[in-house]
Amino acid sequence: MIAAEKLWAALKLLRTRDVSPPWLWTSGLSVLLVALPFAVRLDGQQHADWLQFLGRFHPLLVHLPIGLLVLLSILEVAANSRPNLRDAAGFVLYLTLVTGAISLIFGILLAYGGGVVGSTVMRHMWGGIALLIELLVCATVRPAWISGRIERAYPTLLAVTLLTLAWTAHQGGSLTHGNDYLTDYMPGPLKRLFPSSASDAAYAGSVYVRRIHPILDAKCAACHGASKERAGLRLDFYELLMKGSKDGAVIAPGNPDHSLLLQRVTLSPSDHHFMPAEGRTPLSPDEIADIRTWILAGASPTATSVPGITLIAENAELPIQPVADYSSLMTEIRAMQSSQGAKLVAVSAKPSDGLILQTVDIAFKFDDAQLAPFRRFAPFIVEAELGRTAVSDDCFDTLSKFTNLRALHLEGTAVTGRSLSKLSSLSQLRYLNLSGTKVTSEALGPLKGMPNLHHIYLFDTPAESSSQATDSTLRSTQ
Amino acid sequence: MKQHPLCTDCENPVTPLGLPIPRGMKQQWAANETRRRFLGRSGKVLGWAALAGLFGELCVRSYGEGSDIGSPSPAGNALGLPHFAPKAKRAIYLFMSGGPPQMDLFDYKPSLAAQFNKDMPDSIRGNQQLTGMTAGQAHFPVAPPHWPFGQHGKTGTWVSSLLPYTARMVDELTIIKTTNTDAINHEPAIMLMNTGNMNAGKPCLGAWLAYGLGSMNDNLPTFIVLQTKTNPKENNQPVSSRLWGSGFLSSEYAGVGLRSGSDPVLYLADPAGVDRAVRREMLDTVEQINRQMLAEIGDPETNARIAQYEMAFRMQSSVPELTDLTKEPQSTWDLYGPEAKEPGTFAHNCLLARRMAERGVRFTQIYKRGWDVHGDVVGTLPILCQETDRGAYALVTDLKRRGLLDDTLVIWAGEFGRTVYSQGGLSQENYGRDHHPRCFTTWMAGGGVRPGITYGETDDYSYNVVKDPVHVRDFNATILHCLGIDHSKFTYKFQGLDQKLTSPVPAHVVQGLLA
Repeated sequence: MIAAEKLWAALKLLRTRDVSPPWLWTSGLSVLLVALPFAVRLDGQQHADWLQFLGRFHPLLVHLPIGLLVLLSILEVAANSRPNLRDAAGFVLYLTLVTGAISLIFGILLAYGGGVVGSTVMRHMWGGIALLIELLVCATVRPAWISGRIERAYPTLLAVTLLTLAWTAHQGGSLTHGNDYLTDYMPGPLKRLFPSSASDAAYAGSVYVRRIHPILDAKCAACHGASKERAGLRLDFYELLMKGSKDGAVIAPGNPDHSLLLQRVTLSPSDHHFMPAEGRTPLSPDEIADIRTWILAGASPTATSVPGITLIAENAELPIQPVADYSSLMTEIRAMQSSQGAKLVAVSAKPSDGLILQTVDIAFKFDDAQLAPFRRFAPFIVEAELGRTAVSDDCFDTLSKFTNLRALHLEGTAVTGRSLSKLSSLSQLRYLNLSGTKVTSEALGPLKGMPNLHHIYLFDTPAESSSQATDSTLRSTQ
Repeated sequence: MKQHPLCTDCENPVTPLGLPIPRGMKQQWAANETRRRFLGRSGKVLGWAALAGLFGELCVRSYGEGSDIGSPSPAGNALGLPHFAPKAKRAIYLFMSGGPPQMDLFDYKPSLAAQFNKDMPDSIRGNQQLTGMTAGQAHFPVAPPHWPFGQHGKTGTWVSSLLPYTARMVDELTIIKTTNTDAINHEPAIMLMNTGNMNAGKPCLGAWLAYGLGSMNDNLPTFIVLQTKTNPKENNQPVSSRLWGSGFLSSEYAGVGLRSGSDPVLYLADPAGVDRAVRREMLDTVEQINRQMLAEIGDPETNARIAQYEMAFRMQSSVPELTDLTKEPQSTWDLYGPEAKEPGTFAHNCLLARRMAERGVRFTQIYKRGWDVHGDVVGTLPILCQETDRGAYALVTDLKRRGLLDDTLVIWAGEFGRTVYSQGGLSQENYGRDHHPRCFTTWMAGGGVRPGITYGETDDYSYNVVKDPVHVRDFNATILHCLGIDHSKFTYKFQGLDQKLTSPVPAHVVQGLLA
């Protein structure tokens, strides 16, 4: 009844010529557009295949209105100096409107047909609708702007439309490429501005957090996560995992064979229901076995050990600290190499893997004084090969500045171990070779508390005989 | 007399019309070969030639100019290698040329004893084409291993009593029972194993590594080959330098072979009356001449020659130091055994390999010939094992106690395995074994591989792979992975192909072997 009254009022307005017909069309269409998501409710269910088939053309079509809208803005600006472009701009605006409308319809077909829901999907959809309404308004006010009746409204509106476009397009990009597509390879300083999302903090240290969640996160969360909730299922938090999908629970604690999640990932890859879908990387047999074991043991979020699942020891290999990018220092590094004779060699093509200090070419004359200048590159050096060099106990003053040092070779040198305690500031150190030195077991005392230092080699040293009992000369195996 | 159709007589020129060919063809030729057609074709040929002259350089530039792997990156070396942080910086390859019998050494098949002298079922062999040496045999009698097996280490790995030293280090080894190859004869199989291709002319693993990863020690070659002295009691198949050749890569990446005698590099000392300065001056002049030649002709091999002269000069001081074992402590001889003092033995070469690893040699390959036991397995296999067992054990143990095994990959492999059925007569006392490409046992140890595992399963006859096959290509891809190289990206443009060690056929890094 209210709607009919409104319509009547609008018609009356029309009759009194307060509102011209284009405005009426615009408001009517806008109301329709806003009503569209309520008419076609995204319920997380998959619908007819042909809807999805058509819908999947949305990412293809959508780039046409994007390009046209950008072109429109360029034309409007360019028309200030070449007035004959103004006509073209008008045509492009209508074209944008039509293709935009088609894209919107296909987008809704995609979301509705594919049963895609989630906050990013919703933002993307509303962005698209807002964009189309803005375009409608643009088209409505433009004639007035051309004829000079209004001045600022149209350019402002166009600018707002462009901003909406950027935001909406970013939402769409996050849907196809994942949320961290842009931040993954962002340079360090910028990246710190975008903190990563939290995990199930309450269960820290549990088998779920350390083994199960990482699998689901890597293999499933792209479609069953915060941004997309296919089949109404989210696997990024324990509670949501246990809540299950629209079809009910996907995990039956203690009963892997009745757990839908496990059934889906163990189907034949050619099966229509096989997960992960759409050709994403399937779970490895090890991963499936661990999920099965975990479900069988009751799928607890807090259990810190489950028989049959081997966790990487918490204190064994802490993640290796990436090193800052040294590429800008390459000229200096080369100059250093030619003046000192020792080399700074890249660990790999990734600068974050750091540099190795190699002295083998001039080992016999490489001493503490020659080592000292390498302090300049200290934060980038992850491995120092000082075996059979002429360095002495004083080298530790310099070495203690190599804060990212992971491996230190001092075999066959004159170090006595007197100053080994200076190494205790090197929290990344994993490997220390003191073979063939005069180091005694007493001198090793200060190294005991170093968390990562698992590989100490003491072959042919006074410390060797006493340490064999503790097996520290042997390579520790994971 | 009738003119011969192919006679080159100026007065009676030969034309296709005079040839003894069907009349229809002659007519067609006469119709086609008009002046207009001739000129038209010439024009096109000239056009294409001009185009090739203009753009050809773009297409064939890569040859001789090194590589075009990726874009020049700020990190890594000029080729952008290693692709990722490597687990192993260097590798030592113990090559058991001839094909060690896997079921006599590692691939324990207790059920074979009951099959003694029974014919192997045809279903096992299938339609396989055998070598000429056993294809004519009427029977394929199963020959169980002559020696008992025992379980060793914490892992309880089965090893033959022929390898008492290897048995002590099984917890360090990554044993692969399902290595398999495409070739059934020595030369193609050994080429495939070393170069990734059965045909000669491709660079070997060591040359690829020398090219891709470069040298760690400027005073020693990046890639050194050591030959073990042959034993006349063994059936020694030849190994040739193309196994450590550089193929289409510059020859400076080829393996440098050290002699197995007491003088590893001949004429290493300067001749009497020539001191270092004179030698340096001479080399500088030779280099100048070579550079002139390079500027004139532009043959990249000239560069290789210059580099080799320089390397030889530096080796004059580095090699005597390398091969001087007098400073080795007693513990070394306790470990490697007294044999290691004798140059040319396998144990001696293993000791040299350890010294090279310490001095930053990227890749060392030790060849041991004689594993081609077609007959008298019982007589020769113990000799072969005695010669190699302790050296291999000592090498791995020595690397480990000195802290080198963390970043050194040790590889033990032959080019194929041997058949479970006896070649020639089978008796209680003796048997022979033919070549077998379908499965053979290899092992790796050290940087990048998972210690203490046995990978893959073979059937009860050690004949076919049942689970987890590892093709030679996968084997090589895995080795490259341990050294920080993605085998599919490590390519060199040659003959219009992006050539790679793992050949154009897809290869996979065997994840199950990795630490």
